[in-house]
Amino acid sequence: MSLRDLQRKLKKQFSDFFEIPNDVMLDLPKIVLVGNLQVFIENHRGIVEYTTEKVRVKVGEGEFGITGSKLMLRNIKTDEICVEGQIKSLCFLEPGEVW
Amino acid sequence: MVLLRLFSFLMGHVSLVVRGEFLEKFVNMAASRGIYLWDITRLGNDRMRVKVRISDVRPLRHIARTTKSCFKVVERRGLPFMLNRMKKRKLLAVGGVVFLLTLYFLSSFVWFIQVTGNERLSSEEIKKIAAGAGLKPGAAKWDLDAKLVENTLREKISSVAWVGVYVKGTRVTIEIAERKLVQEDPHRNDPAHIVAGKAGLIKEVLVLNGQAVIKEGDTVLPGSILISGEIKEEIKPEPANQPLPEGQEPPEPQYVSRFVRAKGIVRARVWYEGYGECRISETLEKLSGRQKTSARIKIGTKEIIIAGPKESPYRHYQEKQTVKSLPKWRNISIPVEVRNVQYMEIIKERMTYGQAGAKKIAEQKAMQEVSAKLPQGEKITEQRLEQVNTAAEEELVRIKAFVETVEDIGTIKPLKAAEEDKD
Repeated sequence: MSLRDLQRKLKKQFSDFFEIPNDVMLDLPKIVLVGNLQVFIENHRGIVEYTTEKVRVKVGEGEFGITGSKLMLRNIKTDEICVEGQIKSLCFLEPGEVW
Repeated sequence: MVLLRLFSFLMGHVSLVVRGEFLEKFVNMAASRGIYLWDITRLGNDRMRVKVRISDVRPLRHIARTTKSCFKVVERRGLPFMLNRMKKRKLLAVGGVVFLLTLYFLSSFVWFIQVTGNERLSSEEIKKIAAGAGLKPGAAKWDLDAKLVENTLREKISSVAWVGVYVKGTRVTIEIAERKLVQEDPHRNDPAHIVAGKAGLIKEVLVLNGQAVIKEGDTVLPGSILISGEIKEEIKPEPANQPLPEGQEPPEPQYVSRFVRAKGIVRARVWYEGYGECRISETLEKLSGRQKTSARIKIGTKEIIIAGPKESPYRHYQEKQTVKSLPKWRNISIPVEVRNVQYMEIIKERMTYGQAGAKKIAEQKAMQEVSAKLPQGEKITEQRLEQVNTAAEEELVRIKAFVETVEDIGTIKPLKAAEEDKD
């Protein structure tokens, strides 16, 4: 684990030094929220759970959760998801954390 | 976004209901294989609805098998499906194509010609000349040469200064600018008298040219000469050296007439008279604004009321009928007509003006009558109102109005016409 932490720290320093955007270098998701109607998630790893009240998306190492009502997946591509509906909350989960 | 939607319409897409245990896995696998899914909605615990392109349905079947789910097509959308449907109704498609072709074909002709800007020239004349140059209803647009039409019109009609021919769809507008021809009055300098246009009492005479026949204080009648265009000059005989012999009268003075166009201002007092009357009390009829319409169909002699009242709902009313009947053909007329009857309520009102009120109204009426006779812009120098009393007692007030003005009463009358009148 410590090796991975060191690797990440190095990467961060590298990207800071060369002014490379973090999401490219560190494999982080880019999430765009439009009001409470739409969420775009770029750079995802697949859907973990999908119901009309709750959507969980695998992102980097952890998960990204959306709760709301009447949720629907507007479109899904290999690296992009768009979720529509009435969004109530967003939440980042550590790997293994139960929501 | 619109482009994307158009693309998906052209390619065609279907809605699937997927049933299975691991629907998230199904979606993930599809996404990772590059199958584009959209509008994914959860229908129940183990069912969801997914939209997908036609071409992606086949690989999706494989994914369904591996995730132990199955799907059913519930909706088909897009051009490929429409074409399929069209194949069953070939004639409809043919009709549509024929319609479009006909529309296109007919729209390449000129159907309407409009002429604007012409004041003295008639539109018919212009259209006739334009038809000679190839512009007439039914002419093909590809044969039409707007420049040629313009030039032809300009050459053939001399009073046209500029012509523009615009083609807009099936309508052609010919815009014309006419040359303004200044017409000189050929009789402008012909000798003329100034005669009285109205009867009056002469107040001032100002002669600019000609010989005054009247003087101030004269009364003239319409038509009488005020300033003559004929100037008579006496020819004085050469002063004789020797005194005239005894017994011989000096010769009659001889006149030579010179004709000019009389010019001058003759102002005269002119009187006008007007009359007005008003009853002391009278009944007025006024529309109340309330109305009812009834629609009827008349077949032969029978009348069927469709809507509205059968008879007038008002005690006093005006009736207005509009009848629509079928057009006659030869001698056969169909005895069916639709008639609309409009009942408009009338209110009868009894107005009492009283002696003074009636007098006032009568005065107003009399003055109105006078001012209608007055020429525009003339000032009233004196006015007098007079009540006409009859022997019998009446419910009527009669008023006479007299108005006096001072105005130029001279009108020009050509001398030649005057001479011709005598003949």
